[in-house]
Amino acid sequence: MSVKVPKPLWTVVPFALLLILKPVLPNWAVTPPKSCLGGCADIDGMIPFVDWVNAAIKFLKKHEFLGAFTFRDMTRSMSDGIQILLDITEGILHEGFADFGVGAVPWIVLVGLAAIYGWYLRGWKLALLGGGCFFYLALFSKRGIWELSMQTLSAISVSAPIAGIIGLVLGIVAAKRLGFERILWPVLNVLQSLPHFSYLIIVAIFFGVGSKAGVIATVVFAFPPMARLTMLGIKNISPEIIEAGTMAGCTRKQMLFKVELPAARTELMLGVNQIIMQCLAMVVIASFIGQSGLGHDLLTRLQRLAIGQALEVGIAVVFIAIALDRFSQAVAGKQPDHIVHGPLWKRRPFACLALGFIAVTGVLSLVTPHIGQFPQHLTISTSIFWDGIVDYITLHFYQPLSIFRDAFLVYFLIPIKGAITWIPWIAVITLVGCIGWRLGGWKLLLLTCTFVFFIAASGYWVRAMITLYMVLVSLAICALVGIPIGIWASRRDWTTRLTQNICDTFQTFPSFIYLLPVVMLFQISDVSAIFAIIVYASIPIVRYTIFGLRNVPKDIIEAATTSGCTYRQTLWKVRMPMAFPEIILGLNQTLMFGLFMVMIAGFIGTVDLSQEIFRALTFNDGGKGLVIGLCVSFIGLTADRLLVAWSDRQKKAYGLT
Amino acid sequence: MKSDKLTKILGLATSAIAGVVMSVGVASADAVKIPTHNWSSQLVGAEILGRLFEMVGEEVEYIPMDSQTVYQAMCDNDIDLVHEVWQGAFGAAFEKVVGEGCVIDLVTHDAKTREEWWYPAYVKEMCPGLPDWKALDACADQFARADSGGKGVFIGGPVDWLKHDAEKVEALGMNFIVKNAGSAAAIWAELDSGIKQNKPVVIFNWTPNFIEALYEGEFVEFPEHDPACTEDPAWGVNPDALYDCGNPKGGYLKIGVSHDFKATNPKAFAVTQKINFSNLDIAKQSNYVDTDGMEVSAAAERWLEEHKEKWEPWITM
Amino acid sequence: MSKKVKISCRNVWKLYGSNPREFFDRHQGDPGEDAIRSEGYIPAVRHATFDVEEGEILVIMGLSGSGKSTLVRCLTRLIEPTSGKVEFDGIDLLGATDQELIDIRRHKMGMVFQHFALLPHRTVIQNIAFPLEVQGIDRETRDRKAREIIEIVGLHGRDDYYPRELSGGQQQRVGIGRSLAVEPDIWFLDEPFSALDPLIRKEMQDEFIRLQSMLNKTIVFITHDFDEAIKLADRIAIMYEGMIVQLGTAEQLITNPATDYVAEFTRDIPRAKLLSVGSIMEPTGEDVHPDLTVSQDDNVSKIASKVLSQDRDVRVVNAEDETVGILRRQHLVEVLFQD
Repeated sequence: MSVKVPKPLWTVVPFALLLILKPVLPNWAVTPPKSCLGGCADIDGMIPFVDWVNAAIKFLKKHEFLGAFTFRDMTRSMSDGIQILLDITEGILHEGFADFGVGAVPWIVLVGLAAIYGWYLRGWKLALLGGGCFFYLALFSKRGIWELSMQTLSAISVSAPIAGIIGLVLGIVAAKRLGFERILWPVLNVLQSLPHFSYLIIVAIFFGVGSKAGVIATVVFAFPPMARLTMLGIKNISPEIIEAGTMAGCTRKQMLFKVELPAARTELMLGVNQIIMQCLAMVVIASFIGQSGLGHDLLTRLQRLAIGQALEVGIAVVFIAIALDRFSQAVAGKQPDHIVHGPLWKRRPFACLALGFIAVTGVLSLVTPHIGQFPQHLTISTSIFWDGIVDYITLHFYQPLSIFRDAFLVYFLIPIKGAITWIPWIAVITLVGCIGWRLGGWKLLLLTCTFVFFIAASGYWVRAMITLYMVLVSLAICALVGIPIGIWASRRDWTTRLTQNICDTFQTFPSFIYLLPVVMLFQISDVSAIFAIIVYASIPIVRYTIFGLRNVPKDIIEAATTSGCTYRQTLWKVRMPMAFPEIILGLNQTLMFGLFMVMIAGFIGTVDLSQEIFRALTFNDGGKGLVIGLCVSFIGLTADRLLVAWSDRQKKAYGLT
Repeated sequence: MKSDKLTKILGLATSAIAGVVMSVGVASADAVKIPTHNWSSQLVGAEILGRLFEMVGEEVEYIPMDSQTVYQAMCDNDIDLVHEVWQGAFGAAFEKVVGEGCVIDLVTHDAKTREEWWYPAYVKEMCPGLPDWKALDACADQFARADSGGKGVFIGGPVDWLKHDAEKVEALGMNFIVKNAGSAAAIWAELDSGIKQNKPVVIFNWTPNFIEALYEGEFVEFPEHDPACTEDPAWGVNPDALYDCGNPKGGYLKIGVSHDFKATNPKAFAVTQKINFSNLDIAKQSNYVDTDGMEVSAAAERWLEEHKEKWEPWITM
Repeated sequence: MSKKVKISCRNVWKLYGSNPREFFDRHQGDPGEDAIRSEGYIPAVRHATFDVEEGEILVIMGLSGSGKSTLVRCLTRLIEPTSGKVEFDGIDLLGATDQELIDIRRHKMGMVFQHFALLPHRTVIQNIAFPLEVQGIDRETRDRKAREIIEIVGLHGRDDYYPRELSGGQQQRVGIGRSLAVEPDIWFLDEPFSALDPLIRKEMQDEFIRLQSMLNKTIVFITHDFDEAIKLADRIAIMYEGMIVQLGTAEQLITNPATDYVAEFTRDIPRAKLLSVGSIMEPTGEDVHPDLTVSQDDNVSKIASKVLSQDRDVRVVNAEDETVGILRRQHLVEVLFQD
């Protein structure tokens, strides 16, 4: 009798064989060998990538182009230009212009303008939200949160436009030139998956330190989504509109500025929204190279173990994020209304209201100083409350959780870690290659194998496997927790809205803050790190599950209902399979978030790539930082390519594309 | 043809950029750039230094910085001075840039630092005989954790601080393992949690440090440090190993300045040469914030107020 | 015909595939059906040859995928034909440079699109003035011109509305207005009314007829709706799989279909409305009712009740009132009720 092996199983056969054969495999096949390419001094891996990068950095630092200036001179003058912009925004929002005797914008004006703008965009609800968020910053400014917020805002108001312009220009060129798109796309992928810590040193070398360097680091991270959305926006314009432009006799320039960009407006505004969110995500990390503002303050307070105070600062970040997010979304969704004729106050009622408000506060400021400065005695601090909560939880939950923690560690994590680090690297690369070949043919095979080989050759294989183990375990738990939450949340409108709001909050909440409570509960161990990763990385899987389930075409659900399906049957037989491709994409995003968080969890104390990156930071080893960063990025991209290929296949099978 | 055009454009761009640099460079080059890190004494001290520099007519710019990356920045003349160079935490990074010649080792404070294994006071009752290291070793099992295989767990600093705790454990034959925290904050979180649970913990700590103000406790006493201990295996209780001793009790606290500091800010440089903080100074600077809850600038003002006789000579030329 | 030819289209081909030009040359400019299929090329347009005369409405009619939209885009060079020749007022359109093309489009062509293709960020007046704007005409002039057109297309008072604030019919009025802004010599309409509701569609067709009676443009009109074609066309070209299978007046198509495909198409058309008495009479005959005459140019449906109320055949006369034939009652019944 012959056993019939299902086709997908064949994919893992070579992998399984290599596992069985491990005892007889030569040493070089088990752990990546070290070689002496380019000198044997202190090379960790097969190929001295680190030395190459450092040599390149040195070249760019020292070599004089055209005998006049080095690359670094150029980058340095760029950062001086950025400094000028920062001086302006800081002057407006924070410091005032002493030379002209002008003060910074008073708190009450910002609160009022936020409210009026919100009202104009979407009515009183957004007015309340926008005004409320800024009012929070003023009301809770006992610890200088208002000033810090203004520093953060001024940095964002420089980095967001720069990122926007870079993204826009690159996106336009890529939309017009297929060749450029082919180059740009992978670069964007790498930039978006590169851990921030890996390029901080390089930014410091070429752009210096301080808020200007923070702006550069932020821009590097923030522009890719804009470039992607610009490309998407331009490509999605209906061909008829382009034809209408052609038939009107547009030149290329007219076509771009009068037809294409305005027609892609929605996507472009979405890109702006993404940029703002990315900038806010960088608030804490940018402070590592000198960005002043909420991020730096937050780290200082954490260092003192003042968790409550740090939390208060973190909430300020969330509020700024929510306000800016809702505003930019509203701008994106705002359709122009027909022009009303009449006097100015009728044509531009909101602009007049804003001007009126400024005038009134201007007069009032002559009467009371509180217009310029929020009355200090009215400010509130909630930090004691938060500290109380943290204390309560650590006091009462530590004991019961310690049993769970120990069991989880001893019976689950340690064995898995052992198993993953036990696998020969040849087997890993074989498995990835087989899956790649199955899902996307030899192109995908080649690509993913190159990624894996880079990691093996760089000399950080074992570290990378430990990072992988933490991410995979977190991924599994995120799926187990996140998918049911997503199912529950998709059931009703209000649960969806509630869950999405919670996701928004957690996504913008600086993740550094929950590292410490997690350590207090779970000690310095992989459990802590994994727990911290799960808190953050569950967000996308929840979101995508909701999205997938809610976007199943209505008629299909109606067909199921009329066939007499119960809720359960509709869910498991119709909606889940239809939502499956989206859920895979959610897993993909969860993995990316996990990789991001694994680096931050390094601050707890893990023996993986993050520890190596911090070591590189200490010794100012820009090359090492970048190479390890690329290892992390390639772990992410390998999984990303495979999961996206899988999702596409499923979507195609269901005719959903 | 094309490359010609490119060169032209590049040339134009550079001259434009150069113009910008000139105009900006003049404005901000002479401000003293002081880094601010994320612990209180440093923040207060930075502000004190800034005020002193302003008194002699220098402009000051505070730049928030990671305490590790700051050394690369100082090497590139982006930061002018670091006034709290801890031997323990930053010795490696500092000595590397001093070795490269781009940073000058200018002042050694009177303040002596000590870094060692440390435990909160109540642990002494659980483990009689402390602070002697042998007593600690004897009750190692009390410090054991699920994943430590019955051995005691010592919470060490981040690996990049290059402490030799693991070697020490081995050399002294202690029944302990070293678990490296990823950041100082993680150590404090462990300590805080241990204290709340009244559970034995032994962590890496140093003095002066705000922790002393928050929690009572003391250092473990290892065999007295001797330079030979880290160079000659024969020295000490274990004849075959290095590091069979405690850390030096008088670690340095230094001021490092960038290579160009003297040229760009001669007045501030002159002041810096004379600055000297004692252990008490550092402790006060941190306590004003950590225990008294003052904001940083208020704390700096208070220290200046109370120590006129100390700093006035620093700013007289 | 004595009328001037506005557009002359000679042997135009459009093939889609990996390397259509090479393929085309290899087959000496006339690849056969088999060659096209076997090498995986898709023939969107095949040897299209016809003229559009000044002031004429030529309707190109076919089902979706028949190549009619591609053909009209070849005429405007929105799509580059694989081969062939298009002359516009005697100018070789396919040989024109980019700049010449821009000039021709700016001044001589107007086009209306199926899905309106309005610029969503511009008001009605800004949309209509758009072609003038890209020409660099000053704001005052173009606004004045656009206002005139708004009146013509019946959008009075909607000047400052945005497209999304308008109904579909109104949006297409804007599209029509925009295409007329430059007072084009030739007007292309690509299924302009297909996206509209049937009632609105009829209203817009009437509107179109009204406009044309005012403007008297040369028109190429694309549709998949034969009723629409009959209603509007001077001549109709029927396309099938990229080829023009027949080109003629509606009457010619019905009375004399060139292929079975055309016959199939025209079968369900109520002939009475379309056919003239002349086309169904028998030339001369006897036993003619002396009193009852019908004109040979009259529509059949118009005279039907008059004839059917009588018990015999009627006499057909021409414009000079001379007898030219006889209309058999029986035959009329057959035409009216289609077999």
